[in-house]
Formats: sequence, structure tokens, C-alpha cells
Amino acid sequence: MNSHHDSAALHHATRRHFFSRCALGLGSIALGSLLNGRRAMAADAAHLANPMAPKQPMFTPRAKNVIYLFMAGGPSQLELFDYKPKLVELNGQPIPQSYIEGKRFAFMGSSHGTKLFGTRREFKQHGQSGMWVSNLFPHTATIVDDATFVKSCAANLFNHAPAKLFMNTGSGQFGRPSMGSWVTYGLGSESQNLPGFVVLQSGPRGPRGGAVNWASGFLPTSYQGVPLRGSGDPILNISSPKGVTAQRQRDCIDAVRDLNLKRLVETGDQEISTRISAYEMAYRMQSSAPELIDLSGESAATLKLYGVDKDKPSFARNCLLARRLVERGSRFVQLYHTNWDSHGGPGENLEGDFEKVCREVDQGQAALVHDLKARGLLDDTLVIWGGEFGRTPMGENRDTTGRNHHIDAFTMWFAGGGVKRGAIVGETDELGFNPASDRCHVHDIHATILHLLGIEHEKLTFKFQGRDFRLTDVHGELIHKMLA
Amino acid sequence: MKLALLTLAGFLAFIPFGKGAAPDYVRDIKPLLAEHCYRCHGVSQQKSGMRLDTPAAALKGGEHGAAFKPGKSAESLLVQAITGAHDKLSRMPYKKPPLSAAQIALVTRWIDAGAIAPTNEAPEKNIHWAFVATTRPAVPQLVNRKAKNVNQIDSFILTRLTKENIKPSSEADRITLIRRLSLDLTGLPPSLAEVDAFVKDRDADAYETLVNRLLASPHYGERWGRWWLDAARYADSNGYSVDAPRSIWKYRDWVINALNADLPFDQFTIEQLAGDLLPDATMSQKIATGFHRNTQINQEGGIDPEQFRIESVMDRVNTTATAWLGATLACAQCHDHKFDPFTQREYYQFYAFFNSTIDDGHGKSAPDGMLEIPGESEGAAESQKALAEAEVDLERYLNTKGSDVAKWEQSLTDEQKSALKDEVRRAMAKPFAERTTKQKRLAYAAFSKDDDNFKQRTDKLTKLEKGQPKPVTTLVMRELSQPRDTHIFTKGDFTRPAARVTPGVPAILHSFSADTNANRLDLARWIVATNNPLTSRVIVNRVWQQYFGRGLVETENDFGTQGSPPSHPELLDWLACELMNPSSFNFERSTLNAQRSVPWSLKHLHRLIVTSATYRQSSKARPDLAITDPNNKLLARQNRLRLDAEIVRDVGLTASGLMNERIGGPSVFPPQPDGVMNLGQSRREWKPSTGADRYRRGMYTFFWRATPNPALMIFDSADGFSSCTRRLRSNTPLQALTLLNDEAFHEFAQALAARILKEGPTKDAARIDYAFRLCLSRTPTSAERARLITLLKRERAGSDESTAWTAVSRVLLNLDETISRE
Repeated sequence: MNSHHDSAALHHATRRHFFSRCALGLGSIALGSLLNGRRAMAADAAHLANPMAPKQPMFTPRAKNVIYLFMAGGPSQLELFDYKPKLVELNGQPIPQSYIEGKRFAFMGSSHGTKLFGTRREFKQHGQSGMWVSNLFPHTATIVDDATFVKSCAANLFNHAPAKLFMNTGSGQFGRPSMGSWVTYGLGSESQNLPGFVVLQSGPRGPRGGAVNWASGFLPTSYQGVPLRGSGDPILNISSPKGVTAQRQRDCIDAVRDLNLKRLVETGDQEISTRISAYEMAYRMQSSAPELIDLSGESAATLKLYGVDKDKPSFARNCLLARRLVERGSRFVQLYHTNWDSHGGPGENLEGDFEKVCREVDQGQAALVHDLKARGLLDDTLVIWGGEFGRTPMGENRDTTGRNHHIDAFTMWFAGGGVKRGAIVGETDELGFNPASDRCHVHDIHATILHLLGIEHEKLTFKFQGRDFRLTDVHGELIHKMLA
Repeated sequence: MKLALLTLAGFLAFIPFGKGAAPDYVRDIKPLLAEHCYRCHGVSQQKSGMRLDTPAAALKGGEHGAAFKPGKSAESLLVQAITGAHDKLSRMPYKKPPLSAAQIALVTRWIDAGAIAPTNEAPEKNIHWAFVATTRPAVPQLVNRKAKNVNQIDSFILTRLTKENIKPSSEADRITLIRRLSLDLTGLPPSLAEVDAFVKDRDADAYETLVNRLLASPHYGERWGRWWLDAARYADSNGYSVDAPRSIWKYRDWVINALNADLPFDQFTIEQLAGDLLPDATMSQKIATGFHRNTQINQEGGIDPEQFRIESVMDRVNTTATAWLGATLACAQCHDHKFDPFTQREYYQFYAFFNSTIDDGHGKSAPDGMLEIPGESEGAAESQKALAEAEVDLERYLNTKGSDVAKWEQSLTDEQKSALKDEVRRAMAKPFAERTTKQKRLAYAAFSKDDDNFKQRTDKLTKLEKGQPKPVTTLVMRELSQPRDTHIFTKGDFTRPAARVTPGVPAILHSFSADTNANRLDLARWIVATNNPLTSRVIVNRVWQQYFGRGLVETENDFGTQGSPPSHPELLDWLACELMNPSSFNFERSTLNAQRSVPWSLKHLHRLIVTSATYRQSSKARPDLAITDPNNKLLARQNRLRLDAEIVRDVGLTASGLMNERIGGPSVFPPQPDGVMNLGQSRREWKPSTGADRYRRGMYTFFWRATPNPALMIFDSADGFSSCTRRLRSNTPLQALTLLNDEAFHEFAQALAARILKEGPTKDAARIDYAFRLCLSRTPTSAERARLITLLKRERAGSDESTAWTAVSRVLLNLDETISRE
């Protein structure tokens, strides 16, 4: 693959696409009549420049699709996965100065948060891998042998919005493309009826930073994430206006297509053929999006597995929709769930509030892995779980307990799509403050995700303001220990 | 790339490989070094102090010693480096494929044979073209003197086309011309009457008259204002996660007005970068400095404000470099620029100009950076009227109580008086008749605050006062009284300050004459100095780009060594000179343009471009050029361009007759799909404007950075995060869904249908022609008309006329041609 879209390759891909899939679009009209008049131009009309047409990876991929479960706010690894008996033992002691020298934290001015805080949660080892999981995640504990847990993740930025951007785009600055945009830019999408990059949200509020987290930055907007909404139209403007029946909508699109075609012949502008195919896709989306969110075809057993109430928006429902999306060929599905920002204040404590958010995700995320596996989709689908950072070993304790943002060591897990099953990568020091081995920086994680998709992270580039940009900026090393 | 490899292979084939002949430096070695080494060890950069572009420099060497030892290849740094044998250095070329064995053998044999080379080679002084000041090139003489409507631009374009043996396209028809010109100059399609008048106008100067009318239209400032606002990263909210609303639309209006008044571009620049520092700065000049207050403000809890203050200073550096200099100075934030001659030190010298304004990174110093506009408030006139009435009513009542109050005041003891508030005592010190309404009110309240007649009136007034519209404010630049120190940040990390620097500019560019206390005003003047090689080229290029879809320099934001070379270098320079120093010679025939233009007049530049025959060509694809010039770089035709996001809306508004043409004012809230605002962290309200504000031009839609209006974003509007100097033109299914289904656009279709039925002719075919012209300016072909009549008949089945015509209107508003300019 070229670093830039090679127009010849694009034309090749889209011509193939035209003849295989888009026959629906132009098949019904008299292509022959075009050929009579201006043979050369009509042949060009076949070059439907569809930016989402599937593209060949750079090498044989291990995963075709990604489902990224983004735990917005930064879940506490110390309450879930990174079991630290020493921290429990030293509970209430001040953090040794050697740990915090030269470090910067969010809410730096505040006085609290320098005393160690041992978890109050019970931990047990699970599966063949012996991965420690706390009793807050009973369902997740059942998938440990399908996943690689990386306990030594590290990031750069400790405030939510920049950190989320960093996790999504490899930069804390606005205006860079998100991972889903890079991936669809590099690989296109298998689905020509649904968007290639879809975003779903659950929880009490939207993730900090909002739509910039799935923006395409300087890449064409074709690659930005399309939010699938919990209520109302599943996709913005997916419903025809009030009073416009499906038949009228089809009539309208047919007439638009016919008139656009006449203009295409008259002007020879290939953009018109792209527009024609965009209208066809829009029309198909109008019927496939409602079909996508209609769960009546799912068995009672499946709904029970996820714990889905069919008509109620929830993280579990979004997990099920994510499976349906990759089944239908969407390339990159990202789920955001809030609120993991456990500072210890009202609504954000590590007691009842944390238990609640754990309950909200536990069953659905485990069910997703089990369900994908049972359907043979896990081999092709990479499931990613993690927040923008983790939480400090020090407590941020008020009337209730909490922890501050921590970027030096936190846990993410990965399942399916070429990732080792039942593996643990990296350990933290005895307080859980720093990685003791195998530090995996966000850039390394990005490089590895792209690698699993058959993309060399240094070669997926886009020239902007005079520089070749990439998801991994100028960094990124493969995490070999994660690879099956 | 393939071509380059072939050339290289061909070149190598001629190299004598026989043992006997020692390689020749000039023939064999120098080209090799030039291709593989000079980029890091040449004129613009000397990594590790090593320079290889002259034998003398190579022998002098760098940090690791001389590049070679004559006669001893194994001990030569150059050979160790290219073979990877050096124990400290990476194999060279760094991170590039190694040289071939044959190439390495050449170098080895040349050194072993004594490294014979000329000793007097002068070091290269080849400065990149864009860093050399412009000189006005001669306008080429056209061979074909019969060419129609040509100006100097065409002389350059046609000369090149002739050389390539390509014929230009013919002029577009008049309807296409007026629609193109109206959309390009004002962002609005022409009215039917305007189309008819132009088509009928037989005057030789008809086109020039049209150009002048459009340049004088107040909508010109809107259209080109939006062009500039992209570069200014204008938006109506603070960005980052909290994304609170801000008031800076006065700056947006300043841009519109400045362009309408054709404020010369040098002055336009100075006022925006440093209007506050001009002697006796006017209100308008202060408002202009909003340019650099379009940075984001992070109001998230727990942040380090200094970090985000620094972010905005860096944004100001990067934006200034992009918008005016077309320079990727931002690349020198963490290290010396990899390709262009900008050092990291120079980056922070540039940064120093912007490092001493009062704004902080948290928005808490906002009041100091906010300018209140005297005599203007956000509210309506009615509330002011109500306030005045309530005030008069109260005063009238209080005047009836004058003697009661006076009696009571006289009865007070000194002790009682001293218990009263200061302001009450001050009021009492005056005779009743001389008191202001406020003072009368205060005194009366002290006397008898339970008087119901008084209470009712004073409460009403208080309520109105509280609800009084807030004064209009706008964000501006202001210097601290004590400038901040500026340090280089190691690797761009603000927690690692290194050496201190003072304000300065990149040394490769023209000289900077200010002293060490240079400020933004000095910088602004330096930017628009006529010996600045970049500003004028960059600006004419970006104007050109709007008209043809591509600049003469395709990389409009990178005029550096990695940018693309200009397709027409002489034309670029001629236009740049013409902008700064317009020729007195009036090339155009029109007497309307006879007056000499002032320096830096953008309208002069626009007029030159749009009156050229090059601009006026048809945009139809040319199959004959599919191989020779597939991307139309030589401009043997116009380009057909999809309209900008805001104008997609404006065309719908105009065709439907809903358009409210009011210019400027606070941003507005046209309808948008429910739930859009839920996508942000904070759920901001979007209450659709009612009445005339519902139908304002797209550029006035309130722009939230975190949750932008989807109809704008889907059509690639600028995002307001960083300076945008070129919009992408994507073409997606979401655009189709927007035009088909979005409430705002459906409303246009319904209004267009109503307009057809109300204002249009009575026969179907004539009505279709009328509707078609409202959207596309032209009449349909018979095949197009027939297709629409088929649709109309079909839609009539089982529905009323208005529904059937709404269907026709939807089709017209969804056509590719409707949202394009041809």
C-alpha cells in the first residue's frame, strides 16, 4: 500500500467494487445508452471513487475488525486487575518520596492524595493464566483465558480530554485522526450498507471531548466515526422526513440519480459518479440501520447472555450491537461507557458508584467475547478494553474513597484477532505505581493494533501541513508478547 | 519514484567498474553524496556538524572527525558510516535503505586512490526558491495575439499551454459564468433577474460590470470573510472538553467589514496581529486582535493552566506561520526543522512575540482580555424601552413624595443618619430636586420601604435592570506590563525549560530590524514587509486556490523544501508583486477599472483573476487531456468544484426564498437534528432560532467546537481547532442523508414548492423550468424536463399539489450540480 492514496489503486479497487456490489446502483439504469454516446467517459463512470471500498492490508492480517470498549474516565486497575497485597499492607502510609519526585498529577494543588490506599476488594486468580480479577468482575473473570491482559500500560497526559485524545489519536492535540479513522482510511470497510467506523455510547454522560474522540482530523470526513444513537434515529438523518414514504424516497433518489448521470455525461466530472454511489449507500443505510438495531431476531439465550433489555439503551445492548455491526462488515466499532472517574466525591466514589459502573459493563463485555467466540468471529475480531489512564495507588479519600488519575501504569485487555489467549504482559512494582517490566506505551499499543490488522504503523501516513503524520507519531514498538 | 530509480540505474550503468580507472569525484562521487547525504549534511542542515557538499568541508569534518582519510578507506568515517561499521553511529543514510555494494565500492576506491577532488569548490548557496524575495517577472508576449479577453495571467498560462501544445478551453456560457462568479465572489447564486440581465447585456464590458457589482456587494465580505476565518480558526466556543460558549463574533464581523472596505492586506494583517499596540488604537483595531484569541481555552478541573497557556502561545506561532508564511515552523517546536532551515531556537524566538499577553490557560483572566463594546448590548430594543418606562414611572411617583421624604430626613438625628448606608447619606446631602432617580429611590427606600406603591414600582424596575441585556464583549489581545521570559523547551516539553531567548525571526528570511524589545507590532510589520518572500506569495496562492480548487503551489501550507514546487512560478511571483505593488498600466479594457489600485488590495487581485480568460473557461472535462494533464495543473480548463459547507446551505436558502440576508451580529441556531449536543461532555442547549434568524447564512450558525453543527461538518467546514488553509471536499453518504432528510433542508424543499406554486407560472413544464432555474440558474434540457415531469406525475398520485412539488423540489436541491459551481 502506498502512503497516500494511490489514485490508480483506488480506481482499481473501486472499479472492482462497482462491478461486484454497485450493480444495484447503476444496474437498473441504461448504462448501455451511456456507452453509446461517450464511451470513454462512461467507462470512467465505473470508477466509482468510494473511499470506503475495502482495501488490501500491507501483509496478512490477524484481525479484520476491531471492537474497542472505551472505559471513559479511567477505571481503577487497582480495584479490578492489578492486585497489590503490599499496598493493602501499607494502607494509610505516605507514598515514599522516591515514587513521586518530578511527577505531575491532575489537581496538583490539592492537599489530599499522598497516602497509599490499599484496595478493599477481594481478588482471586482465574483460568489457566492465573490472572487476578476482583469480585467486581465475576463475568469478566470467565474470559481471562481468551485474552491478554497488559498491566503495564503507560500514557502521557493526565487530564481527561487530552488523555482521551491521546489514547484515540496518539496526540493530545485536537485535529488529529482517531484510530478508527486511520484504520478505515487504510483498510476501507467490508460493509457497503453501514458505516465503516461506528461509535456507540452509554452511561450518564458523553465522554469528555465529545465528537473529537472519533473525528477524522485532517483525513477526509468519510473516515470519521458515525455515532449510532441510543434513541431517536440510530444515525443522524437516517429517517426520511415526515410524510415521505419509502416509495417516495426511492422515487426521489432515482430522479436524482438520473439527472446526476446526465450531468456526468455532460461534464465528465467523476465526482458526480461518487455522488451517485453515495446516494445509493445512503438509501441502503436507511434500511440497514433500522435492521441493525432491531434485536427481535436475536434468541432469548443471546439476550440473556448479554443481559440485554431489548428496548433499553445500555452498554450490554451496545455490545450486542457491536457484534451485529462486525457481522455486517463494519470495520471499527467503538463503545464508550461513562463514568469511571472515581475521585471519591459524590457519584464518583470507589464504593457503591464504582460497583454500579462495574455491574453496567461486566456481563456485556464478557458476553461479547463468549458470543464472538461461539460464532467463530473472535478469530477475526480484536476486542480492546481500557480507559484513557488508570488510577493512583494513593487514595483520594474524602467521606468516601477514590483515586486520582494515573498515567504511569494501568491495565488494558485485548481478546481475539491474533492476540495471545490467556496471557499476562507486564507487571507493576509492589505498589502498582510504575511498570516493573514490559512497559507498554500507548504508541506501542497503537503500533500493535495496526500490526494485527495487517498495517505497518510507520507506513500508514497522511501528509498534512508539510509533514507525514501517522497514528504513532514518531514512536511505537510492537508488543511482541501480545501476539499469538 | 519508479522513474527516479530507472534514471539512477541508467546512470550507474555508465560508471566504469574496471580496476584501473579511479572513480572521478565530480562524475561519480558527488552525485552519490548529493542524492543520499546532502539532505542532512548539506546547505540547509549539518547533522553532527558534518557537511559533505564540498570536499573541503568533508575533510574538515564534524563532531566525529573528518569524513575521510585519503588513501585509507577503512579508517574513513564516511565508509564506516555507509557500511554500518562504526561502533557509535547508525548506518547511514539514517533510516533509509543502504547504498548498494557497487556504490560503496566506488566510494572506497575513490578514497583509497587518494580521494582526489577539486579543492576550490564553493559551498552551495542554493536557497530554496520560496525564501528568496520576489522580483517581478516580465509578462510573456503571446504568440497568438488574437486570443480573446486575455490579461497578464493568461499570458503566463497560455504561454505554458502553447509550449505543451495544449489548447485552452472555450469560455463558459454566460449563465455558467454568472453563477460561477456570484458563488465565487459572494457565496450566493444569482437571482433570476440578474441572470437574465447579464445574458441580455450586449455591452462589451458586461462581464467587467458584473465583476464590479459583485465585488461591491456586502456579501463579498461574507464569502471571503469565511475564507479568512478558516485560517483564523474562528469558532463560538472555548473548545476542549468543557466547551463553554464565548463571544467573539465582533471579530468575525470585523473581518467581513474589513474585506468589504478592501482594507489593504498589510493593514489587515497589522491590525489583527497587533492592533492593540498601534498608537491610539481604535476600538476597531482592538477588535481585530481577536484573530489570536481564537485559541481554545481549557476549563477542565485539575489542569495545570500554564500548560494550556503555552499550548495557545504555540498555536499562535503555528497559526501565524501557516496563515501568512506558509511555513511549517511548528515542526521546529521539539527539534530543529528536519527539512527547512528553521532551528528550534528560532521557533522559540518567534514564540517570544506571543508569550506576554494577559490571557491564562484557564480562561480565568477573561475579564482583562475581554473588550466591552460601548453602546452595544446583546438584547433587544424593547427591553430597554420597558426599562426607561419603568424608570420614568418610578421617578414620577417619587416626585409626589418629595416633601414627605424631606420632612423625614430633617427629623433624623445624627446618630440615626450615621447608621444609614454611605450612598444614602450622599443622596440626602443633595436637595431633593437635584437628586438623580437612583438617589431619590435610595432615600425613599430608607424612609418607607414597605410602601406598596413604591415596592411594586421599584421591584419592577429592579427586575428589568437585572434582565438588562449584557454589553457586547469580544476577546482581544493585551500585553502584560512586564513581559514574560521565554525559554527554549527541550523536546517541546514545557516542563523542561532550557536557554532563554529574546524575540526574533528565522534568519533565512528577510532581516528584522527591530531591537531586542521587539513586540508583536514589529513582527506584524516584518510579516508584511515587501521584501518578505513568503507572505504575498502565500496569500495570492490561497486566493488562487479558491478559484481553481488548487493553488499554483499545491501545498498551500508548506512553501518549504518539502512542499510542491509551483506549477507556474513566474505567474505566482508576478501576482505576488502585483498584490504588493499594482501596476499603473491598466491591461483591462474596462474604463471602470481605470483608477490605479492601492497596494495590497485584495479586490484588485480578485478582479485580475476573475477577469482572466483562464478563469472564464468552461470546466468540462477534456478527454484529450486525460493522459497529458489529468489533474488539470496547466489549467486548460476550469475545475468544477463542490460548494463549501456554508454555501450548500445558502444555495438552499436562496432557491427556496427563505434567505434572511442580514449581515453580521451574534451567531444563530438554525434547526439541527435532536441529540447532537448530547455528544459533548457538557450537554449544551441548542434552541432553534425562530423567525428570521432561522434562515441566516451558513456562516452565522453558532459553531460549537466540541459538537459542531452536523450539516456543516459533514460538508467539510473548518473545525476551528487549528488554522485551516484548505478545505477537503469529501463526498459521502452522510452528505446525501443530510440533503435528503435533514429538517433544515427539508424545510427548504417545502418552501421552494410553495414558492413555485405561488410565484411560478401555471403550466407544469414552465413551473419545472422556473424551479430548475431557481436552483441551477439554467433551464433544463428537454430530457431533464421530461424526467422531472415523469416524477411529478408519479408523485401526484394520491397526494396534493404541494406534496408533489415538494418531491420535485427535493430532487432539485439534491442534485450534484446544485451544490457545485461549474
